[in-house]
Amino acid sequence: MDKYSIMVIDDEKIVGDMAKMSLEQEGYDVETFLNAEPALARLKEKKFQVVVTDYKMKGIDGMEVLRIVKKEYPATTVIMITAFANLDAAIEALRGDVHDFFPKPVKIKELKESIRRALDKV
Amino acid sequence: MKIENKLIISNIINGAFIILIGFFAFQNMNLVLTKLRFVEIADDLNASFLEMRLSEKNYFLYQDKSALAEIRDKISYTMKTLDAAKKDIIPAIGETDLNKLQSYLQSYSYVIAETVKVPRLNAELEAKIRAAGKKLKEFSDSITRLERKRVNDIILSSKSILVFSFWAILASALIISHFISQKIVRSLREIEKLTKSISEGNFNRIEGFRTRDELGSVITAINSMSEELAHREEQIIQSKKLASLGILTAGVAHEITNPLNNISMIAQTYEELYAKLSEKDRIEFMGKVDAETERIRKIVKNLLDFSKPKDANPKEEDINAVIQKTLTLVQNMIDVSNIETTVKLETGLPHLYIDEHQIQQVLVNLVTNAVQATPAGGKLFIASRIGKDGDSVDITVMDTGKGISPEFLPHIFDPFFTTKGDGGTGLGLSVSYGIIKNHNGEIRVDSKTGVGTTFTIELPCYHQSEEKNNG
Repeated sequence: MDKYSIMVIDDEKIVGDMAKMSLEQEGYDVETFLNAEPALARLKEKKFQVVVTDYKMKGIDGMEVLRIVKKEYPATTVIMITAFANLDAAIEALRGDVHDFFPKPVKIKELKESIRRALDKV
Repeated sequence: MKIENKLIISNIINGAFIILIGFFAFQNMNLVLTKLRFVEIADDLNASFLEMRLSEKNYFLYQDKSALAEIRDKISYTMKTLDAAKKDIIPAIGETDLNKLQSYLQSYSYVIAETVKVPRLNAELEAKIRAAGKKLKEFSDSITRLERKRVNDIILSSKSILVFSFWAILASALIISHFISQKIVRSLREIEKLTKSISEGNFNRIEGFRTRDELGSVITAINSMSEELAHREEQIIQSKKLASLGILTAGVAHEITNPLNNISMIAQTYEELYAKLSEKDRIEFMGKVDAETERIRKIVKNLLDFSKPKDANPKEEDINAVIQKTLTLVQNMIDVSNIETTVKLETGLPHLYIDEHQIQQVLVNLVTNAVQATPAGGKLFIASRIGKDGDSVDITVMDTGKGISPEFLPHIFDPFFTTKGDGGTGLGLSVSYGIIKNHNGEIRVDSKTGVGTTFTIELPCYHQSEEKNNG
């Protein structure tokens, strides 16, 4: 079976680095991006089963990423993480059909569990 | 003396003057009336005297005794008239002249009576009659003439007195009102000057200008208000700072979440992958934790520095460093609002002699205002550059927000002026204005509705010699 591909977009470099190290342990193929533009470009080249994106980013933000992914690649699951844990953001994300919504600091175990559940549906 | 009392007294003086003139004019009119009444009677008498003299002439010409009877009739008629009009005549010509006239009439009457008795007119008698008649007529004519002249004189003098009084009252009213109004205007100018300087944040007093009138009370009240404002300014600055702090804290809390998350993720990964990590990886992980902790420490320190109540404590500072520090406090707020920020700081700027925290407070305030006025997707431009004169530094905070309408623009630095509805205290910009003024600087605003607003702060460069004066 092919490895599942997971994309992590967060302007904090450490988030990408740690997520990559941890998720690769689970046997996933992980690519990280510091902002949305190159990430969306990469999506055109390669199929990702899961996109983990930060909510608040310069340029294209997480909500926009969610909209684009759901429109262009409806099979791809989007998980959102955010430092701004407010109800409005969560509701907006859920309406945009987000798979899960994590406030920072993120529990990596919970993130992995969420990714696993998403991949079970695939 | 109170202005009110001065006005009352000046009115009383003018009023009394007018009453005096009125009384004088009334007296004159009465006198003129009396004299005219006499002149009327005198005309009547003169006509009778003339008729007597005519009858007298007839008698001399025709020796007709009936002419004498006519004269006697006339004499008794005039005597009766004089008696009846005594009341009107005495006030006009006096009792002496009346008696004189009556005695002349009497002697004429005697001569006529004598003539009636003699059968024939002789030359001696004729001369007597002529003399008495002439005397009577002449005296009567002379007092009539005199009275006419007197009436004329009275009217003329009344006229000139009235004209003179008119000018005198006008002049006195003008002079008094000029003095009073000049005093009021002078006091009002002082008050205007003071209130203007108070509105600019200089809490001065009006010195050496004391009157015991209403304006004096107003000046005393304004002076004590000015003192009270000066006393409260510090409190206002501090409370405004605390208000800004409220806005900042929310942003800063979010700001801290990112490094916290980083530390947490490093720790989780470290724990999970411990066995698989190389020595080098472990050291690198801990180094990252340390760096993230430092990030948090800086944010917290900035916030603490900002909140500390302090007297102005100016020092030689690099303005760009101050701007950078401020940005760590507000960056999050800007990001949340999805506003694109461009920061352009000119390198090699001369140092400024400023209170870092107060200038930070001003910048936080300007940026907060800009962010609140700018819709998502808008732009914020923060810049520092050397001033036009080369001896100051200009700091610009520019936004592409809704702008300030021209009618509000002159008031935005006024205390308690706000366009934010319930949200604003109207103190932020006035406090900022006060801070910049205390730094001998200038703060200017340029705004266009729908285009955006630019605040420019101009701060003078630091010269070694100034330290003693400003410190």
